[in-house]
Amino acid sequence: MNISDCMKRNVVSIPETASIREAAAVIVKKHIGLLPIVDGNDRLIGVVGLRDLLNLELPDFVRFIDDLDFVHDFGAVETTRPSAEMLDTPVKTLMKDAYTVEEGCGLLRAYALMLQYNLHDMPVVSKDGKLIGIASRVDIGTSILSAWDKVAK
Amino acid sequence: MNLVAILTVLIFVSSLVLIFTERINRTIVAFAGACLMIGVGEAFQFYKMHSAVEAIDFETLGLLMGMMILVAMLEPTGFFQYLAVLAARASRGRPVRLFVLLGSVTTVLSMFLDNVTTVVLIAPVTLLISEILGVSAIPYLVAEAILSNTGGVATLVGDPPNVLIGSAAGFSFTDFLVHSLPIVAVTWFGALFLLRHLFMRELSMPPSSAEAVMKLDPVQSLNEPEKAKKILVVLGVAILLFFVHHLLHVEPAFVALGAAAVAMMWIQPDIHETLRKVEWSVLVFFGALFVMVGGLEKAGVLESIVGLFRGEESVHPVLFGVIIIWAVAILSAVVDNIPITIALIPIIQGVGATGINIAPLWWALAFGAGFGGNGTIIGSTANIIVTALSEKTRTPITSGLWIRRGLPVMLLTCAIASIMYVALYSTF
Repeated sequence: MNISDCMKRNVVSIPETASIREAAAVIVKKHIGLLPIVDGNDRLIGVVGLRDLLNLELPDFVRFIDDLDFVHDFGAVETTRPSAEMLDTPVKTLMKDAYTVEEGCGLLRAYALMLQYNLHDMPVVSKDGKLIGIASRVDIGTSILSAWDKVAK
Repeated sequence: MNLVAILTVLIFVSSLVLIFTERINRTIVAFAGACLMIGVGEAFQFYKMHSAVEAIDFETLGLLMGMMILVAMLEPTGFFQYLAVLAARASRGRPVRLFVLLGSVTTVLSMFLDNVTTVVLIAPVTLLISEILGVSAIPYLVAEAILSNTGGVATLVGDPPNVLIGSAAGFSFTDFLVHSLPIVAVTWFGALFLLRHLFMRELSMPPSSAEAVMKLDPVQSLNEPEKAKKILVVLGVAILLFFVHHLLHVEPAFVALGAAAVAMMWIQPDIHETLRKVEWSVLVFFGALFVMVGGLEKAGVLESIVGLFRGEESVHPVLFGVIIIWAVAILSAVVDNIPITIALIPIIQGVGATGINIAPLWWALAFGAGFGGNGTIIGSTANIIVTALSEKTRTPITSGLWIRRGLPVMLLTCAIASIMYVALYSTF
């Protein structure tokens, strides 16, 4: 079995010209953690994750304090939202390079790569770089586990 | 000047220029410069390896290292965070009160501990408190850097230039309290009032959620209370010993290193972790500068500079001190004050050899090196640290802002220091 047997083929993606606001709306509507960004020819050029968007809202001090246990109320930052100007900037500014595999990739290799780079979703591309599917850790992990059924008792 | 002297001056000056341009890390430049100095010294037979080792002031390095080890052990306990949280709660979220309290906590800590470490540990919590309050962190961060620079001038251990001056001049901890503390105290209040005035607009905006800071839990912010207590006991005893070190005929470096040894035996920290936090780059930088200045001395350069002052009675000694305050302050505002201090020490010692009373000049050097750093964003390491931290946030401190808020403080502190210097001249 390889990744093309368990990936979702109906991938949600957005064009590179989309704004941060549009990317957030798609993520909310489709309830997904990773949004691939494609060019006019459907080729994958990068990804933007739920985390990248949430970083815009996360207060700056979170990164500088080792142990936040003693902070019980985030006060003013609880109600701070990114500015309209920020939301209308192109999503490309937050885009990260995507880790991808090709459709022939084995399940264990895909899973090992996700562990190594701490990924939750793995976009799958064709030989010419076109986005053809996406598989989550759960998709890949359950496919691997399903083979245990066939182990003789 | 002979060839050897010219060569050594060339090495020293080009190292300083490289350090000041900040194209290459200052420690790497100083280290390479020191090796070059020894190389030239060996080639021309005027500066051997053993003289280079003798040129290193281990009193200074020992005092700095001992205090660095103590702070390295105190840091993970969360004690600094605890104090900042207490200050925030005591302020009840009122900006001006918070401004004064955080500034005071930072100052008191930096009088006894390295002010770089103090600012490194207090600044992130300051950012936390101001974000929770919903106010700009800039006034607090700038005040912490400036007030800790200023407060550090008050004690022997507060500031690296003071450690250097104390060791070179043979000043005790008490000498600093008698001669420097009163002037620094007045200057500090001047700086605080001026900063309060300059940040009037920011500090008069009411915070949007003052009650949230009251929910910060000081007990939880102190990660390791037992360890913190032990280290504070050792630190307290060390500070008491600093007060009487000259009566006991022990050097401050011994007190600091001894305290570090006791604290390490008592709490037995992970030694790799603790030593990793010691700022070796600073210690190596100091050592390398000492080696370079040693080369200048052996080549006779310092003597020729001192010769310029010989028989020079035209400048009144009081005026000379005031000139040193301002000249060193202006230099320290644009470049690192450590190399300036290290380079000036042998010159002042040389002036002393001509029979002039140099005790007041040491104090002038300390005030200039300490207060000058407030003037620009790059004037002191504490300034650089709060700026670097703010750059990772939504409201970065710009160098223009520092010029508008820090430079007036530098001018005021130097002016107050000069007036008090003249008034108290006879007591030095």
